Amino acid sequence: MIRIDSYPTHTYKGFKLRPGKPLPFGATIVPGGVNFSIYSSHATGCELVLFKKHDPKPFARIPFRDDFKIGNVYAMVVFDLDYENVEYGYVMDGPFDPAQGHRFDKTKILMDPFAKAIGGRDEWGKEPDWNDIYQHRARVAFDDFDWEGDHPLEIPFEDLIVYEMHIRSFTCHESSKVEHRGTFAGIVEKIPYLRDLGVNCIELMPIHAFDEFEQSRISPVTGKRLMNYWGYSNVGFFAPKAGYAATGKFGMEMDELKNMIRELHKNGIEVLLDVVFNHTAEGNEMGPYISYRGIDNHTYYMLTSDGYYFNFSGCGNTLNCNNPIVRNMILECLRYWASEYHIDGFRFDLASILGRDQNGAPMNNPPLLESLAFDPVLGKCKLIAEAWDAGGLYQVGSFPNWGRWAEWNGKFRDDIRRFIKGDPGLVGAVIQRVEGSPDLYRWQGRSTSSSINFITCHDGFTLMDLVSYDGKHNEANGEDNRDGSNDADSWNCGWEGPTEDSGTNFLRMKQIKNALTILMISQGIPMVLSGDEIGNTQLGNNNAYCQDNEISWLDWSLVEHNSDLFNFFKKMIAFRHAHPVLRSREHFRNTDYVGSGYPDISWHGTRAWYVDFSEQSRCIACLLCGKHAKSGTCDDNTIYVAMNMHWEMHGFELPSPPPGERWHVFANTDVVPPQDIWDVGSEQPLDNEYEVLVGPRSVVVLVAK
Amino acid sequence: MKVSKTVKNDIQIIQLSGRLDGNTSPKAQEELTALLDMKTKVVIDMAECSFISSAGLRVLLNLAKTLARNGGQGVLAGLGNEVADVMKITGFGNVFPSFTKVDQALAALKKGNR
Repeated sequence: MIRIDSYPTHTYKGFKLRPGKPLPFGATIVPGGVNFSIYSSHATGCELVLFKKHDPKPFARIPFRDDFKIGNVYAMVVFDLDYENVEYGYVMDGPFDPAQGHRFDKTKILMDPFAKAIGGRDEWGKEPDWNDIYQHRARVAFDDFDWEGDHPLEIPFEDLIVYEMHIRSFTCHESSKVEHRGTFAGIVEKIPYLRDLGVNCIELMPIHAFDEFEQSRISPVTGKRLMNYWGYSNVGFFAPKAGYAATGKFGMEMDELKNMIRELHKNGIEVLLDVVFNHTAEGNEMGPYISYRGIDNHTYYMLTSDGYYFNFSGCGNTLNCNNPIVRNMILECLRYWASEYHIDGFRFDLASILGRDQNGAPMNNPPLLESLAFDPVLGKCKLIAEAWDAGGLYQVGSFPNWGRWAEWNGKFRDDIRRFIKGDPGLVGAVIQRVEGSPDLYRWQGRSTSSSINFITCHDGFTLMDLVSYDGKHNEANGEDNRDGSNDADSWNCGWEGPTEDSGTNFLRMKQIKNALTILMISQGIPMVLSGDEIGNTQLGNNNAYCQDNEISWLDWSLVEHNSDLFNFFKKMIAFRHAHPVLRSREHFRNTDYVGSGYPDISWHGTRAWYVDFSEQSRCIACLLCGKHAKSGTCDDNTIYVAMNMHWEMHGFELPSPPPGERWHVFANTDVVPPQDIWDVGSEQPLDNEYEVLVGPRSVVVLVAK
Repeated sequence: MKVSKTVKNDIQIIQLSGRLDGNTSPKAQEELTALLDMKTKVVIDMAECSFISSAGLRVLLNLAKTLARNGGQGVLAGLGNEVADVMKITGFGNVFPSFTKVDQALAALKKGNR
């Protein structure tokens, strides 16, 4: 049946038009044409501007007639467009009155905030034409895809092992040997590696459209170009970064990304996106007009009473997340990624901003966060908050959550780093972190999977650098080493930077293994930084946000060079997958509620059943009762983990294994590889059933069987 | 874009010549629907197809689905390296089996290989 509204009703300079539908916002392919719809509550007029792909000048400017406006929405269908070869923008008329929050400028061509595809930076690193009047160009997108039955995986949260990665860093180095380096397609080529490693979830640093040339400059130190490499600065929220696709130059980045997600899902790997809703790439008063500020500045941004930009993001502006319009945009955006791209979950950058009101004050029940928590389309998505912002709000343990939100657990990172380094007074904190941080989450009725446990992430040192540098070495960033965090809790093991000293290198490898082991035996969701499994270094740079070069790119020759470390990671990850006792959703009750003769978890020291909480104590051990695995719903081995972060060896008196079983060594980080770790099922019997010697700064993992 | 059809040993051969893009795809789609018997075997000869866009990929996918629905069978022949690569990394690589030459495609269809 042919719809009666599929015919033009008006013409303008040869273009056939009809009134459009206000919803959905954006450009939508309809029978015979494209429906363009854009919102502005303060504009007094709007024109649609059409370009042929890549052309410097528009081929048409079509004003929205008054009768094409419904409420504050301009909507129009333009017929017979070759929409695959069209780029569109808007010109908005309205007051330029910054004190009142308005910055309309009829000379600017503005990108659609709802653009599903964005051109202008189609190929990564290709210098743009800076004279182009329209830098970031909205395109009409094909959003159909043959998913071949794919569906988000919905792996239970507590069973995830997250691997945080940067699309470009992962395969850009020539040693990656992939055909399409630094792209979505490159990730597909590396799926066998991810499977071999054993992770079942990748968390992608921002893949929304951004401008790698934003604040691009030449490093005075290295002479290399510095870029907006990480991309924590959105141009558009609905469009993938075209330069991350090998086919971006053909405008096929959407399909390439969907193919990547489909292939990852086929291999049991979920995909989380790091989403940056706290600010945009438009910066402060001095920044460029890309979209939002020219369309409806007063709506999209948090403004001071005299019209300046609040800067809770540290990036010049703050998205007005709890304005109802912006809130709806964010919600619609996430729904779009979940439904059209089959994304499994989201990590929200500087998420505390999402809980501030329009004046910047933190709210008790922020409507945006509540909407996301209860949204039906997002009902099975993982929602993860980076529970702080650059305005001083720190909400680890107190992020508004409605039982749905998890948090990057910064306290886990800080406490475990200090413990591994040998700082005193951390035994009590380590108990909390290993148990899934009940001190932060249990009292609110939140599960262990509220805690994303990590020791390293993109922000800060890699794990290798954490044990190789006392201080940051960010000179290459061209800011006189002022940028980046100063309180990394790192320790160089006696020498700053790379060394040939075998003793130091052994200690560094051991410290990495200690960190990974504690991460993998802790309740909550472990997250590993991509490259840590092969000892990747950034040469002490703890803020490589601008380094599109070997500092950031993974050197795949390390897989072979550090094969012992890679082997340790693989087996430790396999150990976590094999043992449900490490992955309880509910917090421990610290009692025996199944009649096994052991509490679900018990804590020990160098003496069994006794913990030394004194300031100088650096020895602690836990016993995880297998009969209590997953709250007693499944049967697992009983596991004992001894952690000695003292610089001397200590004997740990062992609690008795369950009747009829013996202790077997699964891992001992003090032992020279390959006998530092065994395959699951091949653990080696312990000679002395009553005591295990734990070397200086070492962790031993025993399994009863 | 030119769409032409020949028949060899009861197998239809469709030759697509030129650019299969947003401009040419709607017409190509119409012509394919008009020319082809979707219940039988088809070789889609891409040797003269210089470029395929998102819209073009969707023409091929639609053709594959239509053939599958009607009990037909299709294979591609003569894909250029770049076109084949683009199809693979955008997720359209499994739409049809692909052969270097039309003769190989014909032989495969004759044997019933997919």
